[in-house]
Amino acid sequence: MLEMNNQYTLIKRRVQTEVLKHFFDDTLVESADKIPFQIIPKERVPNRCCIYKERAMIRYRIMAMLGIDIERYDDEMKSLSEYVKEVLEKDTPPVPILTTISTACSSCPPDRYLISDACRGCFARPCLANCPKDCITFINGQARIDEARCIRCGKCKDVCPFHAVVHIPVPCEEACPVNAVEKNKDGYVEIDYKKCISCGRCAMSCPFGAIVERSGLIPVVKMLKAKEHVTAMIAPAIEGQFPGTLAQIKGALLASGFSSVVEVSQGAETTSVHEAEELTSRKESKAGYMTTSCCPAYMEIVDKHLPFLDGRRSVALSPMGYTARWSKAQHAGTKTVFIGPCLAKKVEAAKTADVDGVITFSELASLFMAKGIDVREMEGADLGDTALFEDCREFALSSGVAASVLRRLDNPQDVDVLSIDGIDKKMFRTMKVWEKRPPEADLVEVMCCEGGCINGPGTVVKPSVAIRLRGGNKASTPVKAMRDPIPRG
Amino acid sequence: MGKKERVTVRICVGTACFVQGGADLLLYHEFLDPVVLANCEIEGVSCLGKCKQSDANARAPFVQIGSVIYGDMTQERFCTLLAEAVNA
Repeated sequence: MLEMNNQYTLIKRRVQTEVLKHFFDDTLVESADKIPFQIIPKERVPNRCCIYKERAMIRYRIMAMLGIDIERYDDEMKSLSEYVKEVLEKDTPPVPILTTISTACSSCPPDRYLISDACRGCFARPCLANCPKDCITFINGQARIDEARCIRCGKCKDVCPFHAVVHIPVPCEEACPVNAVEKNKDGYVEIDYKKCISCGRCAMSCPFGAIVERSGLIPVVKMLKAKEHVTAMIAPAIEGQFPGTLAQIKGALLASGFSSVVEVSQGAETTSVHEAEELTSRKESKAGYMTTSCCPAYMEIVDKHLPFLDGRRSVALSPMGYTARWSKAQHAGTKTVFIGPCLAKKVEAAKTADVDGVITFSELASLFMAKGIDVREMEGADLGDTALFEDCREFALSSGVAASVLRRLDNPQDVDVLSIDGIDKKMFRTMKVWEKRPPEADLVEVMCCEGGCINGPGTVVKPSVAIRLRGGNKASTPVKAMRDPIPRG
Repeated sequence: MGKKERVTVRICVGTACFVQGGADLLLYHEFLDPVVLANCEIEGVSCLGKCKQSDANARAPFVQIGSVIYGDMTQERFCTLLAEAVNA
């Protein structure tokens, strides 16, 4: 996985900010084709081969931001302004979430292990001794790997005392837990949507930015501009993604044009209560383990890869589902927009009639920048009575969901919990085995992103920064009298 | 030799700086040399106002070290500049 802040994420944010500025100024149609030239001026020292390719890439980034499925609908003869006109008239269907830019793809060669000049041709030769396929030979006192026989196990890399063995990966393929990212016959990246779970790992790992998410910003800013009643549903992970307190983030959202703001932690409370009830009845009937159901990438894994888990996952709606339902009931005709760290949530939202739009924290950051809103300068808005669901803000962290469920059980000490903290290739294989050998637990909490939602592909800051900044608002929020209809253990 | 003045460092935590990488600087406890850290007075400040000027030479995140404001700050550059300021 790439570092959170790199040239690519920074330029993506600049593109989004510029596009949004023009959108709100009503100048997007005429200016769209100029943006690549403004962002990549001719004086720039290019990171790619030349400024012209960089400009072409900016064009694709703008298309991704407009929500266009580049892999399928890239028409080089079509100007950006024509694309803009189209999306301003009619929203594009949001799935599939990820799309590829084949001209950005560097068509990385298949992954391999290579012995560098750092090899000292030592006497012990642990590489030779540990290679299970005997593919190491010594030429002129230096080790070489016979590519034809190498099975890429990496044992030689692990044992070399001089760190002379390097692994050259294909970042996107390596990052995909379900092998949905493959090279086509020309060597360029392609996503197999029948397998893809929309977790976004590939997009986060490609150093060339060749896999992009199709943004859901345009439909949302269209709602804001039309002054519709829009409810922002903020995911529990939002705390720590921006400077300032949760109350100030709410204030900033209201200032950007949202009509009301509701914490998804509120829906998380309902999810926890339902999961606690379900878990209790499963335990009574000795029905075996139950998994959580709030991670949408995990839901995709079950639907597409592990159908035997279908009856294992909780039937509770996700926190977003309950929150959207509640919001619609509060204000008839409101448009609900989920703001979170997750790309797979867009897939879930597309299946849910109650959710009208999804944007990521990263996209929200662009919106704040375009509107010139400084979160830290905002007047804190009243968060309302949060006492009931405050603990469910923990849903954003690994093992936080299970903890919230346990707090709503009569006998939490009798429940064995297994936390799946991130699904990579290896964990995916482990989960496959569950069909034959069920996990030894009553409650299995599944988080596709390591560390939980705060490490999602749509976040703004590193998890370590977010954790430092989280919970800062607790002191300023007085604990109100508990309205507590749910018995807690 | 008299005791040296501690260097005043102000990290901008305005939204523009924060989301463009400034947030990483807040981990200074982890990446800064402890000796340098001991000689600095680090605080977060609201927008230094630099991002609102259309100055193509410097971009967010901004940091003020002593009386000078630097743009395009990264963790590495932050370390180098602070070490220089402390040893000056």
